This record gives sequence, C-alpha cells and structure tokens, in this order.
Amino acid sequence: MFIKASVAAAVISVAAMALPAVASADASDDYPIPNRILKTPCTAEQILAAARDVEPVYYERYMIDYNNKSPEVHQWVQDRIHWFFSMDYAGRRQYSEDTATNAFYENLAWNWPNWAKIFFNNKGVAAHTTDVCMSYPPDDMSVWDW
Amino acid sequence: MKGLRLASIVAAVAAPALVWAAPAHADPDTDFANELHTYGIYGQKDYNAWIGKITCKRLYNGVDVDADKSAKFVFQQLQKGSTTEQAWQFLGASLRTYCPDKLPVLEAAAQQ
Repeated sequence: MFIKASVAAAVISVAAMALPAVASADASDDYPIPNRILKTPCTAEQILAAARDVEPVYYERYMIDYNNKSPEVHQWVQDRIHWFFSMDYAGRRQYSEDTATNAFYENLAWNWPNWAKIFFNNKGVAAHTTDVCMSYPPDDMSVWDW
Repeated sequence: MKGLRLASIVAAVAAPALVWAAPAHADPDTDFANELHTYGIYGQKDYNAWIGKITCKRLYNGVDVDADKSAKFVFQQLQKGSTTEQAWQFLGASLRTYCPDKLPVLEAAAQQ
C-alpha cells in the first residue's frame, strides 16, 4: 500500500515537471519592443528629435544606415513607423507579439533588418528619448534628413 | 555667471601650447583625444570623436545656431560631474580638429 502511494506520487511529480516544459517565444511587456515605446504619446518625429539631442551617436549611426537605403525604403519606414505610433498600447503590444512570434510578420525587416533600431532595440535609448520627446514638435519631418 | 561664461569661452578659443608642441598624428581622433586629456576629459576615444564630429554637423545643419547651443549639446554628452568650462574646451577642440571653418562661431560668442 505504501509503495503504491509512493509510485503514484512519483508519477504525478514527473507529470508536473513535464507539463510546464513547453518552450514559448512570447513577447513580454519589454521585449522585443521596450515598454516605454509601447506607452509613449510621442510621434516618431519627436522620438527622433530627442535621440538626435540625447543619444547623438545612436542617432548618427541609424541615420548613416538610413541614408544608405533607397527612397522607396525611406517612404516605407516612415509610413510603417507612423502606423505603429498611431496605435494605442494594446495595438502596439500586439504588434510586439506578432514580430516576436513570427519572423515573417514584418516584411520591412526583410528589406532592412534594422529599420526600427532607434525606436525598438535598446531599452536605455528608449528611456532617454521618451523622457524628453514631448518637448519637440510632433511633425517636424526634417529629423529624417541628416 | 556672465564672467564665468566669458572665461570659459576664452579658454575654448585658446588652444593650449602643450598641444601645439606635441607632434600631430595622422589620425585626428588621436590628436583630439590628447587635447581632451589636457582638460581632464577622458572617456572613450571613439565616443568623444563622434561627439566632436556631430557637434560640427549640428552647426552645419543649423540644429545648433550658435556656440552657446553647441556648448549645451556638448555638456549633455559629457560624463556627469563635468564642468561648463570643460564643455567649452571640448567645443573649442572639436571646432579646431574637425571643422576649423566654424571657429568664427566661437569668436562671435566671445564678443557677446
């Protein structure tokens, strides 16, 4: 009787260990897109202007990369990031989930893998830019010209 | 405060004799780093070189319209605890090394 109970307990514990072992690739509230970016009321242009002043080397490198792309890609990037920031938190969180779980979801990334690097890739940069972005004009397109 | 600002600008305009005496290197970033060291400004050589070049670019692009704006930009990029004077010295070194044609911006600030 005692042995039977032990075996039963062992079976249950093995089952309990096996169940949560399913690997998951879900997004979190900070990955792949930082939380600050999911929640900021700023536009893409405000984020870029802030980056130009408070993360100048990061901005410089992004713009060098950007300037090596075609005018078509430039337009695509602007449209896509405008679309992203036009969404509310839930929409942006869903987009974060979609890009984390499906490598084919973002077509633009196949054209330019780092297309949103200055917005999405670095929590520290996102923290610095979202701290001050509200003090810049929301639709100054000159920030794309560097 | 105004006196301090003027003294800082004067310090920025005058390059130290130490730098002039040192042999110029083929790599301007090395000369730039060496000059910064005489002001007690350290940190990553590549990072400082980026900031120096970007400071020039901001003047060319009109993002910074005068030397006060440039000095403010530089000050924000320096390590915490840096002084206003060091920001002006960094600015002077940047203009001398990477865009000497912009030196009049500094002289204009000194005359204000």
